[in-house]
Amino acid sequence: MMRVVEIDKNICTGCQECTKVCPAYAIEGNPGEPQTINVEKCVMCGQCVQKCKSYVSIVTHGYDAYNKVKKERGIPDCVNEPLFAAHNVTHIGEVKKALADPTKVVMASAAPAVRTGLAEEFGYKLGTLSNGKMAAAFRALGFDFIYDVNFAADLTIMEEGSELIQRVTTGKGKLPMFTSCCPAWVTFMERNYPDLTDHLSSCKSPQQMQGAVQKTFGADVNKLKKKDIFNVSVMPCTCKEYECSREEMNASGERDIDVVITTRELAWLIKDAGIDFKKLPEEDFDSPLGGFTGAAEIFGVTGGVMEAALRTGYELITKKSIPAVEIPSVRGGEGFRSADIQVGDLTLRVGVVSGLKHVVQVLEDLKAGKMNDYHIIEVMTCPVGCVSGGGQPKLLMDTDRETAYKNRTGATYKMDEALPLRKSHDNPEIKKIYKEFLTAPLGEKSHHLLHTHYKKGRAKTIND
Amino acid sequence: MADKMSCYVLADPNKCTGCKACELACFAEHNKKTNDVGYTVGTVTVQVTPKLYLTRTETYCMPIQCKHCEDAPCLNACKKHAIYRDENGQVIVDEEKCIGCKDCVMACPFGAISILPLSRKGAPLLQKDREVVKAASKCDLCKGIEGGPTCVRVCPNEALRLVDMNEEQLNKSIKTAQSLYDSRLS
Repeated sequence: MMRVVEIDKNICTGCQECTKVCPAYAIEGNPGEPQTINVEKCVMCGQCVQKCKSYVSIVTHGYDAYNKVKKERGIPDCVNEPLFAAHNVTHIGEVKKALADPTKVVMASAAPAVRTGLAEEFGYKLGTLSNGKMAAAFRALGFDFIYDVNFAADLTIMEEGSELIQRVTTGKGKLPMFTSCCPAWVTFMERNYPDLTDHLSSCKSPQQMQGAVQKTFGADVNKLKKKDIFNVSVMPCTCKEYECSREEMNASGERDIDVVITTRELAWLIKDAGIDFKKLPEEDFDSPLGGFTGAAEIFGVTGGVMEAALRTGYELITKKSIPAVEIPSVRGGEGFRSADIQVGDLTLRVGVVSGLKHVVQVLEDLKAGKMNDYHIIEVMTCPVGCVSGGGQPKLLMDTDRETAYKNRTGATYKMDEALPLRKSHDNPEIKKIYKEFLTAPLGEKSHHLLHTHYKKGRAKTIND
Repeated sequence: MADKMSCYVLADPNKCTGCKACELACFAEHNKKTNDVGYTVGTVTVQVTPKLYLTRTETYCMPIQCKHCEDAPCLNACKKHAIYRDENGQVIVDEEKCIGCKDCVMACPFGAISILPLSRKGAPLLQKDREVVKAASKCDLCKGIEGGPTCVRVCPNEALRLVDMNEEQLNKSIKTAQSLYDSRLS
């Protein structure tokens, strides 16, 4: 059985604060008693991990408990931060082993939201952007190639945008099309609405696209054997480890992503290696799978995938430059919002769901035939998108939550504004990979490497 | 000499869920300057030492914290003069003077004081024999901390409130007077 998110029954006080944030109603137990996670329901989003304040205490649990729990969980000795009842299972041991193995070529890639949170773990203000320092940290840790999931976010837009255009113009494929970047959402859909999975985009998430191209195109350009490549993905998300372990995620012929760690675990790795984060220089990512546009960076916030898709979709359909790159009508916070976007002669009706619990009404409306006028709906499980993900730095006080979300979101848009290229199809590395390797979006190679299928019946759960 | 009556934080066991948000926030606020604790868990490098203590039995839970007694047994018991009353009437532990003798713990009728490890600049404070220095840890009503008391501010269930005895007495006496007046009319 694969363990992703757990509640330690020896530490849980049974306060049930986590049950208030669990979007899948997966946490069970009586008040005042240790809670358990129902793995058949849990979507592994890690919001309980973010919420839990029940820490291993010298007053309650004694002096020896802390080190015992730290050891059990495989947390490095140098880490002395509080440990909580709800936690995600760490995989940094596998990363350290691969980095120490001379036969492995270790490739790093991180999600857009990671760089909005990582610096917080080193005492920086909430939402301090650390794009260049993160790249430098990977290099200092001994990674051989510093690539970026942001590259695959641009790639996702090429594929998903083309898929949407195909669904809209040819009538092939169900509408509205739902985005498929968020593995907790996909898991929720497969388990609870298996009859509606045809509405999901067939695109893999950026993480899985990145893994597949690193072990194919990345192996080719660097003259490597794919079996020697070890792909480490850093995510703001606890569910991504589950996603990478799904049996179909081996398009390259190997497991596409070997291991996933969270933003918090990357901070542990940096501390464990004795790297002074504050003194790290600003460095760049490696080419050709590390270049990205502003459209990729905004994947980290709610509405970002939609906005990125519209920036490219507009230009692919109309063959004209989009009048305004920024599309404020799809931006926002937790809940469901919709907008009509004029794309040439076509009026696209788009929806954005932020916070998984808000998707239930949308899906019920879809079943009742009330969503037929929508073309595309973005769904993200966490409150304001990936910047608020279960793997992001955890706040000591929930009273800072609003500021943290606001600042991380602000940092994301600021980075988008500052980048010279802000549309995925303008990314020269994207042009290169289609020219030299993939040929065209939705082509045969794309179909094989970048697209997937969903479970029709009850999805395989972490218990199977 | 303080001529004011001290205030204290009181918990409502009917609202408290036992989540420990108060303990963690108490620690975080008190260690921002001394131990470089930032906004997130990863910035913590020392043991969590709160100044209020979540207390649970089989039927209820609530944090217990110092009542800042007017005739404070802990202050009277401290032989090192490490406990003093500040200008607002609050009873405060001077951690630098405290030797961890535990007399205050014994004297406190409420269990509001614990002897806990001291840390400075993100590391445990050590004695000559490399043992960690420990000192009395109890509520200081967030002395010198903006927006305090922090525990009241962070409680997700509004189970904590700051009790100001003068206001408390005044409000209750007005209520009593009002009800007596109303009953006279009827």
